[in-house]
Formats: sequence, C-alpha cells, structure tokens
Amino acid sequence: MTAVVAQAVVNGLLIGGIYALVSIGVTLIFGVVKIVNFAQGEFVMIGMYISYFLATLIRLDPVASLAVSMPALFVCGVLLQKFVLRRVLGLGDMPQIFLTFAISLLLMNLALLLFTADYRTVQTPYTFSALRLGPLYLSVPRVIAFALAMLLSAALEIFLRTTDLGKAMRAAAQNRDVAMLMGVNPDRVFSVAVGLALALAGAAGSLLMPFYPAYPTVGQQFTLFAFVAVVLGTLGNVRGALIAGLMMGMAESLGVQFVGADSGLLVVFAMLLLTLAVRPGGLYGGQTR
Amino acid sequence: MAEALVVRGLSKRFGGLRAVHDLSFSVPEGQTVALIGPNGAGKTTSFNLITGYYRPDAGSALAFGQELVGLYPYDVCARGLARTFQVARPFGRMTVLANVMTGALLRDRRVTAARERARKAIDFVGLSAKENSPARELSTIDQRRLEVARALATEPRLLLLDEAMAGLNHTEIDQAVGLVKQLSQRGLTIVIVEHVMRAIMAVAQHIVVLDHGQKIAEGSPKEVAENPEVIRAYLGSGGAR
Amino acid sequence: MSHAFAIDIFIRVFLFAFIGVAWNLLGGYAQQLSLGHAAYFGLGAYTSTLLLIRAGVSPWIGMVAGGVVAALASLPIGALCFRLRGPYFAIATIGTAQTLMLLFLKFRDFAWGAVGTTIPNLGNSPWMMQFAAKAAYYYIALGLLALGLAVTYWVERSWMGYYLVAVGEDQAAAEAVGVNVPRIKRDIYLISAFLTGLAGTFYTQYIYFIDPNTAFSFNISVEAALVSIVGGIGTLWGPVLGSVLLEPASALAQSWLGGGAHAGVQLALYAVILIVVILWRPTGLLGALTAAYDRIVRAAPAGGPASDGTGILGTGPTVRKGLPLDG
Repeated sequence: MTAVVAQAVVNGLLIGGIYALVSIGVTLIFGVVKIVNFAQGEFVMIGMYISYFLATLIRLDPVASLAVSMPALFVCGVLLQKFVLRRVLGLGDMPQIFLTFAISLLLMNLALLLFTADYRTVQTPYTFSALRLGPLYLSVPRVIAFALAMLLSAALEIFLRTTDLGKAMRAAAQNRDVAMLMGVNPDRVFSVAVGLALALAGAAGSLLMPFYPAYPTVGQQFTLFAFVAVVLGTLGNVRGALIAGLMMGMAESLGVQFVGADSGLLVVFAMLLLTLAVRPGGLYGGQTR
Repeated sequence: MAEALVVRGLSKRFGGLRAVHDLSFSVPEGQTVALIGPNGAGKTTSFNLITGYYRPDAGSALAFGQELVGLYPYDVCARGLARTFQVARPFGRMTVLANVMTGALLRDRRVTAARERARKAIDFVGLSAKENSPARELSTIDQRRLEVARALATEPRLLLLDEAMAGLNHTEIDQAVGLVKQLSQRGLTIVIVEHVMRAIMAVAQHIVVLDHGQKIAEGSPKEVAENPEVIRAYLGSGGAR
Repeated sequence: MSHAFAIDIFIRVFLFAFIGVAWNLLGGYAQQLSLGHAAYFGLGAYTSTLLLIRAGVSPWIGMVAGGVVAALASLPIGALCFRLRGPYFAIATIGTAQTLMLLFLKFRDFAWGAVGTTIPNLGNSPWMMQFAAKAAYYYIALGLLALGLAVTYWVERSWMGYYLVAVGEDQAAAEAVGVNVPRIKRDIYLISAFLTGLAGTFYTQYIYFIDPNTAFSFNISVEAALVSIVGGIGTLWGPVLGSVLLEPASALAQSWLGGGAHAGVQLALYAVILIVVILWRPTGLLGALTAAYDRIVRAAPAGGPASDGTGILGTGPTVRKGLPLDG
C-alpha cells in the first residue's frame, strides 16, 4: 500500500514540475505587470505544437527543441506585452481579464482550425523507458521534464536575485511607483517579464511532448492548475508558485489513484476551496484581517 | 466630558515589523486631536486599525463607548466614524454628486433625500460647481474635497482625516483649516493625521506623537513643540523612513 | 431567409440580451466578472425539466422554481468565490459551472446523465409552455428581456445602484462610507442568478432538449459576458446592443459554415471582436455610439453638464457623452 502511495506521490511530483513552470510564469506576469494571464496554458500548447512539428519534420528531439520553443515564445511574450498588454495597463480588472481571456479563446480556436482537434504525439526512443528506484518506477521522459523544469526554475531564481534586470523586476513587483522613481524602465521590465513567463510556458510544452499529446484545448487544464497554484503559493511569489505547483501535481496524482480517473478538476477545486477557507493569502501570505 | 474615542494598547505586527505597539490615547468629544510623527510612524496603520481595515493583534478602540475592534469598516462607519484616505479614492466612474450620495445613502436609503443631503455636503466643501463632473476628472485637491464631502455625508460623529492637507498651497491650507474649524464648531470630533505644522497648530487642541509605532509624547501643541523627544524623532538619527 | 429563421434570430437576440442583462447586474455594475453563469442557466433548466417530466409541473411554475434554485445556489457559490478578486473570482466561477456539469453528467438515475432528455412534445399547450406558433416564444423571450431591463432600471436608480457601482469601483472606499460590500454582492448575485435561471428554462422549452453539455455550456457563460462587454458594460442597454450585434452574426455564421471543423470559426471570431473592443473601447460600444450620435446629430461637443444630475453616472443615455469613459 505504501508503495502505491509512494508511486503516486513520485508521479505527481514529476508532473508537478511542469505545473510549477506554468505557475511560475503566471505569477511572474501577475507580480510584475499585475495582469493575470488567462492564456498561459495556450502558450504551453504552442510550445507543444512547435516541438511536435520539429519532431515530425526534422526529427528533432522535443527536449532539444527547447532551444527553439523558448526563444520563440520569449519573443512572443515581448511582442504581446509591447503591442497588446500595454494598452490595457491601469484600466482595471475587466479589460485585462477579458483581453487575455479572448487571446486564450483565439489561440485555442486558431489551433483548432489550423491543426484540427486530432491528438498529436511524439515518439522518442525513451518515451516508454523507466528507471527503477527500489519499488518505484520513474518514467524517463517525466524525470527529464522534472529535472529540466527545476533547472529552469533555479535559473530564473538566480536571474531574479543577481542580475540588475531581475532585481528591477522584483522591485517593480513589490512597489511599482517607487521602482519607477528609482529609474527602473517599466517597459523593458514588463516585456522581459512577459517574455520569460511565456518562454517557461513554451518550455513546459516542449518537455511535455515525449509523454503527453498535443491538441488545441490541452492548455486549459494547465491554466486552471496554474491559477490555483498561484493562489495557493501567494500571488506574485515565484517560490510559492513552484512549491504549490509541485503540491498540485502530487494532489492530483493521489486523487487519481484513490478517487477516480476524472478527479483532476475536483482536486483543483478542492485545493482552491481549502486555500480560500484556511489561508486565503496563500503559503506566503500574512493575515491582515 | 464624554470620550469620543478611547484607544487602549493597540498593537499590530506585519511579519517582523511592529507597525503599531501598545498605542493608547483618548479623544474627548468635540475636540480636534492631531496624530503626528515621522513617515512610517504608524499613523495610517492606526487609522486602519481603528476603522476595521486591519484587525489588531492586541488592544481595543472604543468609540462612544462601543468596541470597534472586530467590526468591519462599514459597521464602523455606521457607528459614526468616517475616514478619508491618504491618497483620495473617489468612485471614478461616478459624478461628484453620485459619489457623495453613496455616502449619504447610509443613513437614509431614499435617493431624493440622499441627493439633498449630498448637495449640502458638496456645498460645504465648495464643490457645487463641479457637481456633475465625473470624479476621475477632478484635480487632486478637488478629489480630496470630494473625499471629505463623501465622508461627511455619512453623518459621522467622529471624523478621521488622513493627511488631508498634503501638497496644498498656502491659500488652500487656510481654506482647509477653515473647514476643519467649522466642522469642529458644529460639534464634530476630529482626529487628523498631518505633517503640515501650520494646520496642526491652528486646529488641534491636543497632539499625540508617534514614532516607530509607539506613542512618544502627547500634550498641547505648545508642550509637544518643545518636547525634546519629539524634536529628536523628527530631526534625530532615526529620522524619516 | 425564411420567416422561421428570422424569428429564431430575434428570439436568440432577446434571449442573449436577457442573459447579458442578468450578467451585467453583477459583472457590469458591481464589476464582479463571472465566467460561470452557465451554472445558473443549467440549474434553472434542470429544475423546470425535472419538475415537468418527473412531476408533471407546468414549466411556468418550473421556471420560477428554477430561478429560485439558481438563486439559492448562488449563496454558497458566492460565499466561496467572493473571497477571491478579479481574475481569480472568474476562474472560481468557471470551476463551479464545470463542477455542476460534471455532477449532472454523473446523475444518470436522477437526471438522465450525459444523454440528457427531450421535452415530450405535447403539441400546442400554452400551460405547459409549448406552442405551435414560433411567435409565442418570441413574445416570451421579449417579455423576459423586458423583465430584465425593468429590474436593471429599478436597481440603477435606487440606492442599490449607487452601492453596486461603488463596489465595482473601489471596495475598500465603499466600505469606508458604510457600504456592506459582502451583503451587496450576495444580494445582486441572487438577483442575477435568479434571472439567469429563468433563461435556462425558456431555452430548454424552446429547443425541446436538455443535457449537461448544453445547459452548463461554457459558451453560455462567455456569451453572457461578451454581449455586455461589447455592447456597454454597466449600462442599461449595453447587453441589448451587444446581443443585436453578435447574435445575428453568430447565427448566420453557424448556418453558412455549419459545425464540425468550422466550429472554431465562431469562437475565434468572438475572440477577435472581444480583443478589438477591449483595445479600442474597453467600456463597450454604447459609449462610442452615443458620442458619435451627439457629435453628428446634436452638434454638441463631448462634455457638458447634465440637465438635472440624476442617475449614477450623472446622466441618462443622451448626456452620457460627457463621461470620459474611454479617455
């Protein structure tokens, strides 16, 4: 029995790395630009399709295609911020919510029109390989995904802590007005933040391809998980998003194991309710009231 | 004389920061008291604690004998305490009149009656000419006036003004001081958080001085002005945060 | 275009205007952006259908019952979801509608599960809300819309209207002037959910069919918000304008392109329209229209005092030109 639980926990942890990547992106955009990106999952989807087509056309391993998907999505992010998101900054919740929501809708349906609803999968030499760790089986593509997800998260953390631009981002996230007074260029900071967030989403997509199918609406579940993880991990807190993403992965896995195959949404909702009821400020949020 | 506001042992921590610590003071009914101190001293936090935006870790705040701690801001307002914000928060989409009416509706849900009472408050602060302007079009000063009118429309017995005079020029300060004095003459108890010394000296009968979240002095304006602790807090090593 | 097709478009316009009006009370005035109103649509639809098929109750009564059930459901849903703000509230509402859909997909014994059920055809049976003449549905839909507009009109001009807009603008400032924010949100949610529930019953009676995917469809949630945003969020006529613009276009697109592979086109189109509106006129087209009307017809410059200062936004529709809604 404990072996079953342990296996579920491990599986959950591994996929949790992907959830963490997506969640970090959402929380980064929220923290710095103060916009909640409803379309984050769709950029994961784009990353998946990029890797799919590279794998199909030139036999590029999806993990290697990170070198393509990440920069491509970084540029998307910069363009998105410069030409679209910037126009709704400071306009309040409604335009921002519905703008990113509309972008999500648009991307999903464009994908549907361009690629049809067919599930696209990629076979790699290691798609079905597994490592054995005592009684546990670790699926190789999942381990790779987890390892690289953690690597990318660590790299982001280093960037935020040590580079000037990273510090500027953290400053803008904490107090935008003061940051601007101190000479932080909001445009550049915002563009890079969105670029990085989308790059992480694209990375998540590429890392998923060896073991997960791509289809137009695949992103939605990731957005949903990411949103709950961001609330759980405290809005704007990168480390919180990471931990919460891992937790969501494990919770989902345990839910599937012990409740039922469909329980993904239930898990999400349950965790959201639990967070709201017990600690609305999230893991890193204090109590003001 | 009855006490309009009795604050006892009010304390609030944010993580490691002691924003307010063991604050106690009282405000007799009908008086105007100033709460002063360097930036970061805990003045606005005290307002937020008293009016229910934060829950204190310890202490109590009695307004006209009733405990405020634990109440939500709207109940605090219903009990007769109105406040303004340091940075004005008008309802931007609404006109000046509608903004103040929102305050007036607290005591009487009838729209027509509320409109008349709102107009009186607007007239008092001198915004009648801009009654139908959308609040977001007003200048900062007018937005402050609007904020005061809106607070007055809730018919408070105690008014908390948070840095209402910041950034005003000489004439505007005189006007504002005049308004505060008129309110005081009408019997309103007033607590102001202020940095503008001229205004404080003109309206306050009593001053409470905060520094680093604690009360370091209180007394009449003259006493406080000559208090070495106060002088050190403003000019000494700790200084402005 | 056939007569029946034309009436069908009108019915859709009225219905979605009504759903939009119901949504607008919560989403437009109070700015609580729900993307889960299909939950109430579905609850209304299922309540009346269950009462009809299991107990022979007239759908007229069932419609009111459905509205009540929807309203009651809004209480626990609101209690949880209102703890979140902005986009997180929206996500939570999506979750509730999805959860309800999942539940009804599982209720095979109680509520026909994923297969759903058809409404037994009783011929022309006014008491059972079934009519041979399509025109009857037209009038019912129009009546519902009139009800929604009347409610909105009353709310807008009453104390509640001021409180709602205050909450929508700045909750903390509203609390400072005595607005019981949680209670107002709860109350307007009750009204909004009730009205949306009525629409669910009507639609089910109109298409003679119900299943969880239709009743709790995310598309309904989106359209409820969409017509209000495109037309004019937080205004009386906004959802009507939005529906007039979007519904015929969508119906025509559906009939030309059909479903299947082209299913994506309609939503993609909606998405593009939404993006364009938000980037160009975030508060909706009503403001732009009245501004244009005044510039052209009345030769009046934008801005200017209202005649009597009534109304929350200072003015009635014609003088709303003065508001710098779009900067």
